[in-house]
Amino acid sequence: MKNKLLKWLFGGFLWFYAAISLYPLVWMVLYSFKNNDEIFVGNPFGLPKVWRIDNYIKAWTNYDVPQYFLNSLVVAIATVCLTLALSITFAYATSRMRWRGKGLVRLYVALGMFVPVQAVLIPVARLVNGFGLTDSHLALIFPYTAFNLSFATMVFYAFFVGLPVELEEAACIDGANIFQTFFKVMIPTVQPAIWTLAIFTFLNSWNEFLLANVLVVKPALKTLPLGVLFFQGQFTTDWGAMGATMVIASLPTVLLYIFFSNQVEKALTVSGAVKG
Amino acid sequence: MKKFFGNPWAIALFTLPTLLLFSVMVFYPIIQVFYRSLFDWNGLSAGTFVGMDNYVRLLDDKGFQVGNLNGFKFGAVITVFQLTMATLLALSLSSMRMKGKSILRVAYFIPVVLSVTVVCQLWLSIYNADTGLLNRAFAFMGIPFKQNWLADRHVAIYAIAFVNAWQWTGYQFALILAGVKSIPDSYFEAAKIDGASSWKAHRFITIPLLSETYKFCLVVSITGGIKAFTEMFIMTGGGPGNSTYTLTYTMYSAAFRSAQFGYGLAAAAVLVLECLLAIILVNKVFKTDPAVEGA
Repeated sequence: MKNKLLKWLFGGFLWFYAAISLYPLVWMVLYSFKNNDEIFVGNPFGLPKVWRIDNYIKAWTNYDVPQYFLNSLVVAIATVCLTLALSITFAYATSRMRWRGKGLVRLYVALGMFVPVQAVLIPVARLVNGFGLTDSHLALIFPYTAFNLSFATMVFYAFFVGLPVELEEAACIDGANIFQTFFKVMIPTVQPAIWTLAIFTFLNSWNEFLLANVLVVKPALKTLPLGVLFFQGQFTTDWGAMGATMVIASLPTVLLYIFFSNQVEKALTVSGAVKG
Repeated sequence: MKKFFGNPWAIALFTLPTLLLFSVMVFYPIIQVFYRSLFDWNGLSAGTFVGMDNYVRLLDDKGFQVGNLNGFKFGAVITVFQLTMATLLALSLSSMRMKGKSILRVAYFIPVVLSVTVVCQLWLSIYNADTGLLNRAFAFMGIPFKQNWLADRHVAIYAIAFVNAWQWTGYQFALILAGVKSIPDSYFEAAKIDGASSWKAHRFITIPLLSETYKFCLVVSITGGIKAFTEMFIMTGGGPGNSTYTLTYTMYSAAFRSAQFGYGLAAAAVLVLECLLAIILVNKVFKTDPAVEGA
């Protein structure tokens, strides 16, 4: 009897928190199909009376949403590629190759885990200006990559260090040099880690706001997180179009999560295993 | 083999790009933060060396004091809310036999993958005093609890902290759930045979075995409080007055609004040191018991 009651209680709690977690988002999706009148006066909570798809058309055509979307895509994909290329090679050289001082070099890059992005906003903004990067996507790609490196190299290091040395020995005996071995043997072996980190880096860059807010000067280079703020402070806010923009900005990451939920959760929580 | 693993060209090619980018974009800036914080510097001229002056001025700065206190409040709210909720959710979910578990997991985690600006914009409309979802929900239920959530200087910081707590609870939930799943079933079976209730089993087996996970969760939420900025920047602009100022806010407005770069960097240096202190303290308090390590 008591057990049954407890079961109901905990089950109820689980569904109740799911509602807290999800309802604001459902509400957002619903109001992206409503007009101001329905949002504020007639029908704030329920389903839209008419599904106004034209909110989405307006968001896509009247505001610069396609441009923001493209910018986010370019920056996120470039950051993922650059981060992966740099961190896999670095982790390989510091984990499996043999040279003096490699431990120190690895530690040096790992120290970046303790540098909060907030703290270095000012010097990074000045550097990006100084290098004249403000006219291109590189203004975000380089800093994003740099701040992902510490974590990415640590994850790859953990993967490489556990592999048996026979992998390379066999390749070496077959006459392969280190480059061939690296690309043909080692990279395929750490494929799971590559996917995990690609997802992690993509989500981070797609959603990043702090650096973008300081580093993006030109309106044409704005990413979606900045674009969403465009609606703030407009005199007559078009709430439906704003909702539509927010849904468009969230769709890629939410879809990524829904289709690959296990991998995404693993990607985001892998930091728990590394940082400790 | 020695030549194979010691190929100097490969080592240079594999490490130098990372070292270069990291040194320029992460290491050099953090050195700059500490070095330049000793200067009276407007960002253009060479600046004059003033020693610890900026730090002394910080101590007298009302915004800095409020910012530190707010970092503490923000950190306390998100730590308590997220750890309690995430633990309850993860333990209930893992020990219940019920339908819809995967739907629940997705529901908890979805806010995590959203951009913070979307989340803040969304909560701005939820908190809106006249038209917001929250006040209207209270009115709908007939509860006279209308609040001006973000314009009340005593409420605003907590309202903002709740937004962060709401977004990231799913993250800690996933961490703790992964930890629970890594504990072998045989531990719980042994406890059951000994007559322990599932509450006791969790209290004395699960939670101690997850000390590493909890350590990480604590570090994330406490330093999250110290570093807090984006939510305030979007939702209140630091206001009303300076009631939702944070350390990062002090730095941001000193540098980008009044061109006092040296002063802003002193605030940034304090930020770094406070985060390090928090990490050290959490690790001291939660010294991993060697007997449970490796589980």
